[in-house]
Amino acid sequence: MVDIHKDFAEHSVAEFFKKNRQMLGYSGKIRSLTTIVHEFCTNSLDACEEAGIPPDVFIQVDKLGQEHYKVTVEDNGPGIPKKLVGKAFGKMLAGTKFQRFQQARGQQGIGGAGCVMFGQITTGKPTKVITSTGNGTIYECRLTIDIKTNEAKMGDEKEYTGQMRGTRVETELKDVLYQKSDQNPDEYLRRTALANPHAKITYINPDSLTTVYDRAIDAVPPMPRGTQPHPKGVTVDDLLSMASVTNARTVKSFLSTEFSRMSSAKAEEISKQVSFDMNKRPKDMNWEEAEQVIGAIKKMNFISPPTDVLIPINEQHLEKALENILKPEFKSVLTRPAAVYSGGVPFIVEVALAYGGKAGLPLNGNPEQPQNRMEIMRFANRVPLLFDAGGCGLTKAVQTIEWKRYGLQEDLPLTVIVNFTSIHVPYTGAGKQAVVDNEDIIKEIRLALMDAGRKLGTYVSGRRRKAESEARLKELMRYVDPVAEALHGLTDTAITKLKKELKELIEAKYSAGEIEEGDGEEEEEVEELEENGDSE
Amino acid sequence: MATANDEVRKKLKALGTKVTKEIENKESPRIEIPVRGLSNVEYDEKTGLLKLGSQVSKRSFLNYAHARKFMQTMLVANFAYNELLKTGIHTSLRDMFYALKRTLPNSNENTFEEQIESDHCVVDLEVSVDTLREDLHLSADVRGRVVGPVTIKDRGDTINWSKLGSGGWAIPSNVEDIEFKKVDAKFILVIEKNAAFERLHEDKYWEKNNCILVTTQGQAARGPRRLIQRLSTEYKLPVYVFTDGDAYGWYIYSVIKYGSMALAHTSDRLGTPDAKFLGLTMKDIEKYKLEKYTIKAKPVDIKRAKDMMKYDWFQTKGWQDELKRMLEKGYKAELEALSSKGLKFITETYLPDKIKNKDFLE
Repeated sequence: MVDIHKDFAEHSVAEFFKKNRQMLGYSGKIRSLTTIVHEFCTNSLDACEEAGIPPDVFIQVDKLGQEHYKVTVEDNGPGIPKKLVGKAFGKMLAGTKFQRFQQARGQQGIGGAGCVMFGQITTGKPTKVITSTGNGTIYECRLTIDIKTNEAKMGDEKEYTGQMRGTRVETELKDVLYQKSDQNPDEYLRRTALANPHAKITYINPDSLTTVYDRAIDAVPPMPRGTQPHPKGVTVDDLLSMASVTNARTVKSFLSTEFSRMSSAKAEEISKQVSFDMNKRPKDMNWEEAEQVIGAIKKMNFISPPTDVLIPINEQHLEKALENILKPEFKSVLTRPAAVYSGGVPFIVEVALAYGGKAGLPLNGNPEQPQNRMEIMRFANRVPLLFDAGGCGLTKAVQTIEWKRYGLQEDLPLTVIVNFTSIHVPYTGAGKQAVVDNEDIIKEIRLALMDAGRKLGTYVSGRRRKAESEARLKELMRYVDPVAEALHGLTDTAITKLKKELKELIEAKYSAGEIEEGDGEEEEEVEELEENGDSE
Repeated sequence: MATANDEVRKKLKALGTKVTKEIENKESPRIEIPVRGLSNVEYDEKTGLLKLGSQVSKRSFLNYAHARKFMQTMLVANFAYNELLKTGIHTSLRDMFYALKRTLPNSNENTFEEQIESDHCVVDLEVSVDTLREDLHLSADVRGRVVGPVTIKDRGDTINWSKLGSGGWAIPSNVEDIEFKKVDAKFILVIEKNAAFERLHEDKYWEKNNCILVTTQGQAARGPRRLIQRLSTEYKLPVYVFTDGDAYGWYIYSVIKYGSMALAHTSDRLGTPDAKFLGLTMKDIEKYKLEKYTIKAKPVDIKRAKDMMKYDWFQTKGWQDELKRMLEKGYKAELEALSSKGLKFITETYLPDKIKNKDFLE
């Protein structure tokens, strides 16, 4: 028995990682590299925001050899006190069991440790950490995860004097690949910058190309508040997990104290619908009993959950981010009021349509005549979702819009941004790259897109009219010379005078971009039957 | 000659002056052109001719749908004014097209892409300033031939239509100045098709029947129409028209008799209201049992027949029945179908019977 446990302990962390690579975002060589950048970057942004510091994050990806790279991420955050470094980067599974009922970026708990582990098992090398809280002392170490104890191990520890505040990590990786693709770190960071206009992001890619995304706004967004879960948004597994750590003494009091909108009267109502005594200790509740509780909740009505726990990007900030990065000719941004899915989980949908400028996906490489098609950018709690686009409810919602109704063609230089903000993002799988196809969510996105689409449609059709008007002006100008020459021939009027006056007439009418009623109507044509005889 | 020239030049100059004034006054320069088309054509029962209605369309330079045509019309006006009338030169529509065609600056666009564009401008100008193509010194390609016991004088040459061998006399575009010296014919037979004309000519049909044979070689051009009218009115000669048994052929007859919609402004010069339709009719097909030699009517034949049924000048019982029958039967016949009865059937049986019995479709 002891041996078995020992074995289990020895292999658990590495085994868990290997077996669950996909689940953690490490499937495929291209995706793995983007995941590493995502995890470190998310840690940095979170750390800065928690400390109220406008983030300034530096990312560098170096190619060291065949499928061999180094990722460096440095931030200006609060830094990590020496004694917490191990906890911050080493605790592989800390906190993953519990769902936090708080709006947060991505995958809690696993992030930094996963990167350390990935580097360790693919290169055998530790992750270098340099950090300082700004107190004049810099701490540096080489960190590995001891798979025997599941603890972080710090080697080559150094402490020296210096002015720094923040954290820098360097990890070497193998079995990863950098490629020109819209799923690489370049694109991930471009989108991250779009959804985080308060962050400055500096990035050097493997081709040594430096990109700086400057801050579009100075204010750090407020930290989302944590909240109690709403009964309707809880699964059987959530319920049992919470029951295992609660301080409440009975199931009934557990329900009425740890859930939002759950009065003791509501808890009482549940107790009447289940077959077990809800005065038992929460820890003693088994799976079937928890199922009964959830079943009872499903049949009941609760007040909607509070929505002030959500912090969207907000319209002004999103607009600034678009101007900063896509420099669109026209933009239409909309933050919807908070809504609720599955009856209990609050969420907010934000959409932005960016037209022209750098918006849209280039279709061909011809800079002379660039062609674009619609580009969809998905975000969940400001995190770009680059993979599994086909199976994502956000994509589906965008695709159900009849863009043609707003006079918009699919081949426009158009970027469609959807940011889904929630305390709980309902991903389709453990890869956390696609949101479920949920009716409530799709409806909100559609409403937002239709509204934004109408505004863009009005702009684009106005623009088209203007372009037509300009084309006509050009066409008419071509006829000035022959008409002036003919009139000169008939009347001896000076050619220069005629040309000048004709040009003025055309400009007066077509520069304004207005077209009068009846314009463009063809004259009546002569019957086709007679064409043959009267001419030639 | 010079005075007619001056008259037309004055009209063209007036058009230019009007447009120039509009430009000076910052108004939209426009040319007013009577609408040419079914909607603006009336059938005048008194004269038996089509005439132009009062609808006028405005061709405005500032309307982008008109601008190109406006430019073209002005080019044609200037060409006639300076290149033709001023110098006394006559030219063909085709020559004018080439003389005016050029590439516009900074574009792939030409002043005229196809001759049909400049041709249209000429007619527009005719109706707009109330003149005639002939008076603008423009002529169309020669089409149509004639033989018969007639002697004429053309540009000083005396020509006997009965002594021109197998080809006959090619009818020029402008027959205004032709002088008839001697006309011994009793009637005029107009044939749509050149091949039938040659057959009849070879049989000396005109000599035996003392008539004038004209072929229009398809839809009749202005020259033949004016010639038929002049001969018919100046010598009181009956005119019989002989075409294929289909809507296209029947409309050739219509144009000879009533004038055309496109040139309705000049029907009084081109139409021959006394012309009679001789054949081929649907009735003929039945009477002479030609069903086996018919051709299935194409959609375009059906459409033309349906259109014609609505024209005011086809509202006679004879023609309505004829058109209806054609639509019912769904076939048409070429006049050569009659040759299935023998090569001399047309000259020895069909035509004499028709003319003797006054078997005309009216």
